[in-house]
Amino acid sequence: MSGITKQTSLKSSPCASESDPPSIPKRRQELLKWNGWGYKDSKFIVNKDNHVEFTGERYQLSGHTLTLLRDWMIATIGISLDHKTPPQSEITAKDMPPPVRNEEFLADMRRTNISHTDDCQDRLFRAHGHTLAEIFTLREGRFKRIPDLVIWPINHNEVVKVVELACKHNVCLIPFGGGTSVSGALECPANENRMIASLDLSQMNKILWVDEKNLVAHAEAGIIGQDLERLLAKKGFCTGHEPDSMEFSSLGGWVATRASGMKKNIYGNIEDLVVHIKFVTPQGTMEKSCQVPRMSSGLDIHHFILGSEGTLGVVTEVTLKIRPVPECKRYGSIVFPNFEKGVACLREIARQKCAPASIRLMDNEQFQFGHALKPEAKSMYTNFMDGLKKFYITRIKGFDVHKMAVATLLFEGAKKDVDAQEKRVYEIAANFGGLAGGADNGERGYMLTFAIAYIRDLGFEYYVVAESFETSVPWDRCLDLCTNVKDRLHRECKERGIQFPPYITCRVTQTYDAGACVYFYFGFNYRGVQNPVQMYEDIEACARDEILANGGSISHHHGVGKMRKPWLRKTVGDVGLGAMRAIKEYIDPNNIFGNQNLMVGEPEDHHVNTVRNVVASKL
Amino acid sequence: MVSAFIFRRFSTNQIVRFYSVSHGVKTITHVNKTCCTLDFGCNVWRPVKILIPNNYHALNLSLCYSKMTDQSRNAWIIKDDPRLVSARQKDFFVDILDDRRHTSDLAWSLRQRDEPKYQYNKPRSPAEVKGHVLKSDRVKYAIEKTMEETGKSLEEVTKEAVYIVDEMAHNLRVGVIRCFAMVLVKVMKKLFERIYVNEEAIQNVRAMLKEYPILLMPSHRSYLDFLLMSYVFYHYDLPLPVIAAAMDFMGMKFFGWLLRNSGAFYIRRSFGDDQLYWAVFTEYVQTHICNGDSPVEFFVEGTRSRTQKSLPPRIGMLSASLEPYFKAQVPDIMVVPVSMSYDRVLEEKLYAYELLGVPKPKESASGVFKARSILSENYGNVHIFIGEPKSIRTYSIGQISRISHSISPRYIASLTFREQALIQKLSYDVLLQQIRNMAMSPWSIIAAVLLQNMDGISMKELLKEVDWLKRQASNLGAYIDWPVNESAEAVIRHNIFTHKNIATVTEDNVVELIAEDTSLTQNQDPLFTSAAQEMMVCLYRNQLLNVFVRVALIAIPINSCVQETMPLSELKAHYSLLEKLLSREFIFMPGDAEKDFDVALASLTHTCGVVVENDCVLVKKSINKYTTFFSQMFEPFLLGYWAMCRYLLSIEKGSHGKPLVKLPKTISKEAQVLSAQLIRDGHVKRKEILSLDMMSNSLQALYDLGAVHKEKREGTSYMYPNLVLLSKLTEDLCKFIDVPDLPRTTINVDTKTVTVNAKL
Repeated sequence: MSGITKQTSLKSSPCASESDPPSIPKRRQELLKWNGWGYKDSKFIVNKDNHVEFTGERYQLSGHTLTLLRDWMIATIGISLDHKTPPQSEITAKDMPPPVRNEEFLADMRRTNISHTDDCQDRLFRAHGHTLAEIFTLREGRFKRIPDLVIWPINHNEVVKVVELACKHNVCLIPFGGGTSVSGALECPANENRMIASLDLSQMNKILWVDEKNLVAHAEAGIIGQDLERLLAKKGFCTGHEPDSMEFSSLGGWVATRASGMKKNIYGNIEDLVVHIKFVTPQGTMEKSCQVPRMSSGLDIHHFILGSEGTLGVVTEVTLKIRPVPECKRYGSIVFPNFEKGVACLREIARQKCAPASIRLMDNEQFQFGHALKPEAKSMYTNFMDGLKKFYITRIKGFDVHKMAVATLLFEGAKKDVDAQEKRVYEIAANFGGLAGGADNGERGYMLTFAIAYIRDLGFEYYVVAESFETSVPWDRCLDLCTNVKDRLHRECKERGIQFPPYITCRVTQTYDAGACVYFYFGFNYRGVQNPVQMYEDIEACARDEILANGGSISHHHGVGKMRKPWLRKTVGDVGLGAMRAIKEYIDPNNIFGNQNLMVGEPEDHHVNTVRNVVASKL
Repeated sequence: MVSAFIFRRFSTNQIVRFYSVSHGVKTITHVNKTCCTLDFGCNVWRPVKILIPNNYHALNLSLCYSKMTDQSRNAWIIKDDPRLVSARQKDFFVDILDDRRHTSDLAWSLRQRDEPKYQYNKPRSPAEVKGHVLKSDRVKYAIEKTMEETGKSLEEVTKEAVYIVDEMAHNLRVGVIRCFAMVLVKVMKKLFERIYVNEEAIQNVRAMLKEYPILLMPSHRSYLDFLLMSYVFYHYDLPLPVIAAAMDFMGMKFFGWLLRNSGAFYIRRSFGDDQLYWAVFTEYVQTHICNGDSPVEFFVEGTRSRTQKSLPPRIGMLSASLEPYFKAQVPDIMVVPVSMSYDRVLEEKLYAYELLGVPKPKESASGVFKARSILSENYGNVHIFIGEPKSIRTYSIGQISRISHSISPRYIASLTFREQALIQKLSYDVLLQQIRNMAMSPWSIIAAVLLQNMDGISMKELLKEVDWLKRQASNLGAYIDWPVNESAEAVIRHNIFTHKNIATVTEDNVVELIAEDTSLTQNQDPLFTSAAQEMMVCLYRNQLLNVFVRVALIAIPINSCVQETMPLSELKAHYSLLEKLLSREFIFMPGDAEKDFDVALASLTHTCGVVVENDCVLVKKSINKYTTFFSQMFEPFLLGYWAMCRYLLSIEKGSHGKPLVKLPKTISKEAQVLSAQLIRDGHVKRKEILSLDMMSNSLQALYDLGAVHKEKREGTSYMYPNLVLLSKLTEDLCKFIDVPDLPRTTINVDTKTVTVNAKL
C-alpha cells in the first residue's frame, strides 16, 4: 500500500503572509455577488443614457462607457432594452431547504473548536458553482438541496480532524475552494439524505514556505490565484499559473480539476507545476515521501488526485514550482484574413515550438465582440489612429471585416528572448497572411476574457442565457470541429424554434504539440422560450456530442463534474471507468466525499455495486 | 385619367399581368412576350396606348376592353372552356421546355446565372482540385504503401497517381456549359414534348445547397438521365453537378471531351484492390463534398437499368461520398433521390437486344451522330421528380457513433460495420423513394394489358382493362400521368402513336403488337428478332411492376393454391420465398419482408377482394380478377427462373458425381438455349424468358438461397448446383405456376442442341 500513509502529526510552520488578511472573507457574500460573477462593485449596467457602462474602480474597464456594446447586443442577439428580466431578491431562510442535522457530528464538531456555521446564506453560497443552470436558479428559483453546514478549517490538521469525524458519523463532505466550478461539481446531490457539510478551504490561504534553491513553494490549498501570485511577487517569484478564473479560484481546486493556465506554454499546466500534494482521504493522508522532480514508482498517485474533483478526498497543501518574475512582459496581436489561416499559423507555431506564453485565436464573431467592448475613445488621436489602422487593413491589405480573425499574444521572459520570439512569431504569421495588429488589441483581447464572465450577468438581465464550454482536439480536426460544432449549434437552435439569432463563437486558446484547446461561447435570447435553461443544456449536450464525434474531448480543463458525466464512459471506456470506481471503493468506501462527480459514488448505479463487490472480494 | 404607371422591368420574358380597374370590373390579362409589368389604377376607363420599351410591343388597351362581354365572370377568363387544362402546370410539375419554345435559346444560355454557394465553400478551379488530390494525405499514404508493395520509385508511383487523376478529373467550365446548354436545349426540344419538373423541390434544393453538401442520386434508365439533370440545374440557376461517369464515355472523341468539360468525371468500372486508384478516387470525390464545390451526382444503380426496373444498389460510391460525414469532415450531407420517368426510352431497342445477349455497340462518336435519326422521333414527356432530401445526420441518429473514428487519421479509409449497414439501408431507401416518385406513363399500363393479350385486344376491351389497371396502380400509390382533359381513347391512341414501332391499331379497332421489326438486319435468328420486339413492350410494363410486386407475391400463392384455405403463416412463408427469389429482380428493403407483407396483404383485403378469416385466406373467394391479373403479370419471371432451375438440374455430373463447374455467364447463356428450345417446341409462349438479365438474376438468387455454389479457381468464380436444394426449389416453383411437363432434358453444349425428352 505504498503511497498511502496514515496521517502522522505534521507541524506546519507558516512563514509568509501571516499578516495579510484573506482576500476573500468567510462571509463571501459581503464582497462577492451572491447571484452572479465576481465582485459586487463591478458589473455591467445600462446607464441613464441607455449605454452600457462598467461600474467600480477595480478594472481597466471600470468607470468606462462602452458606446458600441448596446447596439452590438441588439444587432447580434436581438435584445431589447424594453424587455428586462430582473433577478429575484435575496433568497431567505424560508426558501431554503432546512438543514439535515447529524447531532452527534455537530456535537463533536463543537468540541473541536473548528469554525463552522449553519447560517443559511453561507450555506447557499456554497451550494453552487457558476454554471448557467446554477446562476439561473439563483436569479429565478431555489435549490432542492444545499449544504447543511459550512466548515472553515484553518490548517491541514483541522481538515484531518473534520474528515475523521465525518467518517465516524457518516457525514457527506463537499470540498469548496473558490466556487468557480462550471461543471456542476459543487451541486449537492438531490438524493443525498445524509448531512452534507461544505468543507470551505478559503481560510487555508497561506504560503507556508518558499524554497529558492529548488524553486518551489509550499502553499495551503485554499489560497486563491491572485493572492498566490501577489505574495510570491513580493519575493520576486511567480508560479505563472493563470487560469481565467485566477481572481477567485483556488490552488486546491486547480489540482482537483486538472486546471490549465493561460501561460502554460512557459510554465505548464497544473500537472506540470505540481511537485508534491498532501491529500486527506477517509483512509488517511495520501502523499509522496519526497519532493523530487520525477520518479518511477508505479502508478503515479498524483494522477489519482489530479482530476478527482472532490470524490476521493481533499487537497490540503501543495508544493508548486516557481519561477523568477520575468523581466519583460509584452502583449501583441496578429490579424489574419480568416480563421482558417489563423489556425494554420497556430499549428505552425506549435510545430516550431516557439509559442509565446499565451497565444489565442479569436474567430470573427469574437473579434467583432471585442471591438464592441472598446470604451469610448478618450482622445481624437486614438480615434484617428484607429481609423487609420482599419483603413490599412481593409483597404490596402484587402481584409474582409466579416471574415478576419485575430490572435492575441503574450510574451514573457528576458527582454532579448522576448524580442527574438516576437520576431519569429510575426515572421511565421506573415507566411499565413497575418499582420501585426498592435499591443493594444492584444491586451484588450485578454481583458475580454475577464470581462466576458461579468457580461453574462448583463445578458441575464435581458433574456439572454449564455455559457462557455471547451474541449481539446488534435490539430488535423481543429478547424472541422469549430465549423461543425458551430453548425450544429445553429441547427439545433433553428430546430428548436429559437426566434432570435444565437451568438456562437469560438477561439483556440491553447496550442500543444499534438493539438489545441478550443473554447466556445454560446448564448441566445430566450424570449418566447418556455424553459431556457433546459433548452440551453439540451443544445449544449448536442454540441458536446458533436465535439466527441469530431474527435474532441469531454473537457480540456473545466472537468466532468455532473454536467459532463454522460460522456465519461465513452471517453475512458468500461475498464477505465471501472478502475476509477475501484480506486474510489478503496479510498472512500462509505462515499464520504459524496458529491457524486465523475461517475463514482452514485448509490443508484448498479455498476458501482458490481465493481464494489469485485473489489471487495479481491482486497 | 390614368393616375399612376409603374413599369417594372424583367430581365427576360415573363408573363405580364396588368390590372385595369374600370367601373368595378377587374381585368387581368396575360400577355406573353412582353417585358414589363404595369400596375395602374384608374376609375374611369380610357383607351391608353403604351409603348413597352423592351421589344416595342404596342398594346391597345381598348382592344382588351372590347373583348369583354356582358357576363362579369368572363371578364377574367381568356379561354372559356372548363376542359382546358394547362399542360404547362400539372399537379406539382411544371414544364420547363415551354419557356424555351418562345424565346431565344442564345439569350437563355448566355444569361446571368445566380447560383447559390455552399456556405463553407472556398472557390477553386478544377486544376486546383486535382492539385489538392495529389497533395492530400490520403494519396500520399497510398503512394507510400504502393511503393512499399511494388518496389517502384516515388517518381513512378506519383506519375501513376497523376495519370489517374488526369484520367478522372472533370473540367467544369462555364463557357463550355453555356454552349452545351444551348445545343442541349435544342436537342431536348426536338426529342421531347415536355420536360416536367416538380418545381417546389427546386426551391428546397436551392436553400439546402447553401447549407450542406449535396449528393444527387437519380434513377438510371437512360443516357439522358445525367444530361437532363444538368439541364434542369442549368435551367434553375443551380450549380451544375459533377457527375461520376463510367469510362466508356471517355473513349468518345468529342462527346467525351464535352462531358468532361460539363462536369463529368470518369471512373473505371472495376478497380478491385488497386489502392492507389481507390485513394485518388476517394479523395477526388470527397474533396468535392467537403468543399461543396458542386453537387456530386452519381447513380446508385451503378449502370443503366436495361430492364427499366431498378437495379440493386451498389454502395461503393455512396460509401466514399458519405465517409466525410462519418469522419466529421462536414456537418451533414444531403442525399437527394431523383426519379426520371420517360414516356419513351431513347435506348429501347438497344436495351431489348442487349437483354437478349446481342452486344450493344460500343459508345462512339459516330454512334452519337447516328443517333441523329433519333432526333426525328418523338419521345413524349419526361418527368423529373426531385425527392425529399435525406440528411445523413438525421438518418443516422442513434444508429452509429462517429467517435470510433477519433483514434486514427481520417485519411485511412475505414468504416465500421454499422456504418456500412446504414449505408446499405440508405441505398435501398433511396432506390425505393426513386421508385415511389416515378411518374407512370399510360403506355406502361397499356403495355401491361397488351402483354396479357398477346394476340391483340379490341380497343373497347383495352379501354376497360387499362382503366381498371390504372385504378389499381393508383390505389397502390403510383402517380399516373393521365391527362384529365382528354378521352381515354384519345390518350391510348396518342400513346400507341408515340410507340408506333411497337403497337398498332388495326382498321377494325383491334390493338396489336407489331410482331417483327423488319428494319433490322436479316442475319438475325427470327426468334430473337421477335423476342426483341416483345422485350420492348416488357420494358414499359416493367416500369409498372415495382408498383405491384408486393401484392403480386401474395397473389401468386393464393392464385395457385389448391386447398380451400391457406393459413397466413403459410402465405407469409410463400411470400418470403418469392421475395428472396426475386430479390435481384425487384427492390426489397432487406429485413422489411414482414412489414411489406402486412402492408400488401392489407391492400389486397381492402381493395382487391382477398378474404381473410381466422388467420386463413379463403382461397376460393380470393381468387378473382385482381389476384389473377397480378399473378399473371409476374408469371414470366417465375417461368424464366424455372427454366434456369431445369437447366441447372440437367448439368452433367463429373466423374465424382459432382456437377461440373461452369462460368456464371456460360450458365446463363446455356439456360437461354434451353428456353429458346422450349419456345421453339411450343412448350412456352413468353419470349421474355430469353432475357439473359433474367437468367443471371435467377442464378444469383439461387446462389443467395444456397441452391447454387460458388467456387473460386485461379481468381475466377465458377458455379455449380446444389442438387438437393435446387430440386426442392424447382418443385416449389412448379406449385406457383403452370409449367410444361418436362421429365428430362439433355443439353449438348457443343452443338448447342437441346433434347427435350418427353418420355418418362
